[in-house]
Amino acid sequence: MTITQTIAPVTSEAVEEALLGFLTERVKAEVAPDQDLFASGLVSSMFAMQLVVHLEESYDIAIIGPELKLDNFRTVQAMTGLVLRLRAAEETAGDG
Amino acid sequence: MAEALPDERAFIAELIGDQPGAWDVAGEIPVELLHKLGAKGILCAEVRSAYGGLGASSRENGELTAYVGSLCGSVRSVMTSQGIAAWTIQRLGDRQQRQRYLADLTSGQLAAVAFSEPEAGSDLSAMRTQIRRGGDSVVLDGEKMWVTGALYADLLLVLGQQDDGAAFVVVPVNAPGVHLERVVNPLGCRAAGHAHVRLDHVRLPASSVLGGGGQSLPLLFTTALSYGRMSVAWGCVGIVRACLIAATSHARHREQSGKPLAQHQLVAAHMATLLIAEHVSTLACEYASQCWESGSPDMIVASVLAKHISAGHAARSAATAVQVLASAGARDDHVVARAYRDAKLMEIIEGSNEICQLILAQHALTVVPDESQ
Repeated sequence: MTITQTIAPVTSEAVEEALLGFLTERVKAEVAPDQDLFASGLVSSMFAMQLVVHLEESYDIAIIGPELKLDNFRTVQAMTGLVLRLRAAEETAGDG
Repeated sequence: MAEALPDERAFIAELIGDQPGAWDVAGEIPVELLHKLGAKGILCAEVRSAYGGLGASSRENGELTAYVGSLCGSVRSVMTSQGIAAWTIQRLGDRQQRQRYLADLTSGQLAAVAFSEPEAGSDLSAMRTQIRRGGDSVVLDGEKMWVTGALYADLLLVLGQQDDGAAFVVVPVNAPGVHLERVVNPLGCRAAGHAHVRLDHVRLPASSVLGGGGQSLPLLFTTALSYGRMSVAWGCVGIVRACLIAATSHARHREQSGKPLAQHQLVAAHMATLLIAEHVSTLACEYASQCWESGSPDMIVASVLAKHISAGHAARSAATAVQVLASAGARDDHVVARAYRDAKLMEIIEGSNEICQLILAQHALTVVPDESQ
């Protein structure tokens, strides 16, 4: 994607809050940051793929290769960690 | 209707010509022709130009897929396989894998994707194909069924289980231990090169595992299938368009009881039904492509919706067109007869009608507000 996008703020608190908001809107339930989304049945693998696309688009990151494992999407905290890690890697590599 | 990729369309029209009927009867497409389409980047048109592709948008590629689908369901099936392979490599491969394999897939090499197994269709947990690591190589064992395009392929993308998850492995068809067995007399897409594949201790360099492996099986499956569903959905739009053209043209010219068929009201109703089918399935595909292009999370469900809508319309439109053409279309090599057989398969592959309904039902129960709360 070459178009410059407005990227949502990328602090741990901001990512976590935005994700909780996204999930609450999509799954119509209150979600805790450390809740196992798969175990609680809130999220299917089909929805996990929607989360992948949502995170990529919102934070201008590419979730590819070995990052594509369910543990990275199991909780809001795990997803927040993934976003911060990939953003940091992106900034050091300057690699699109 | 704006025509995307006009040069590619002209190339396709000239290359395919009036041969699809004969290919269907023979059960084979001349493989050189597929290599030519592949070398133009037509079979996986969304691959970016940096990798040697046409860099088409989802909608442009969709319209191209519909065009191929209106001419020949078998070539379109090969196109779907090649497109899934390219998309999966782009999505999962590391930089070197993307450069190497996407260059291969846009320069004439053909790829097929192996998902289904004797015991595992939609039930992924039953998948038995094993990828075992050993030093800097991997060893594959397993059995895959109904691999579209496998008989023409140079490369197979094989989905299998690992100790720590799952992976796609790029397997050269000529690697020792790869055995293909042609699917005899398939109901539809008869020239699409379907084969069962047996992998008997196939040893490959570890660099053949896309992105190093260890990924989630359902996520890999959904990733690959999402492209496949888009491609099948647009291909079904092509089937509907071919049926609309064949039926209207026949109804205009064929006369019974002193007037064209189209002026008999019961036949006229079929014309309206076909027009509606074309419109609705096109809109569903355009919406899904729009989601795909904008990176919307809705693209996953939109692709299921588009596939389900278009496959259903293709199957019903083909039945309608055969009915309108009657004896004029009732031979296997006729476009409506091929559509009739091909479309039925489209209600089965890439998520059967029933699997699509289950996914859509779950989506409805998740996103639609609960009024009682």
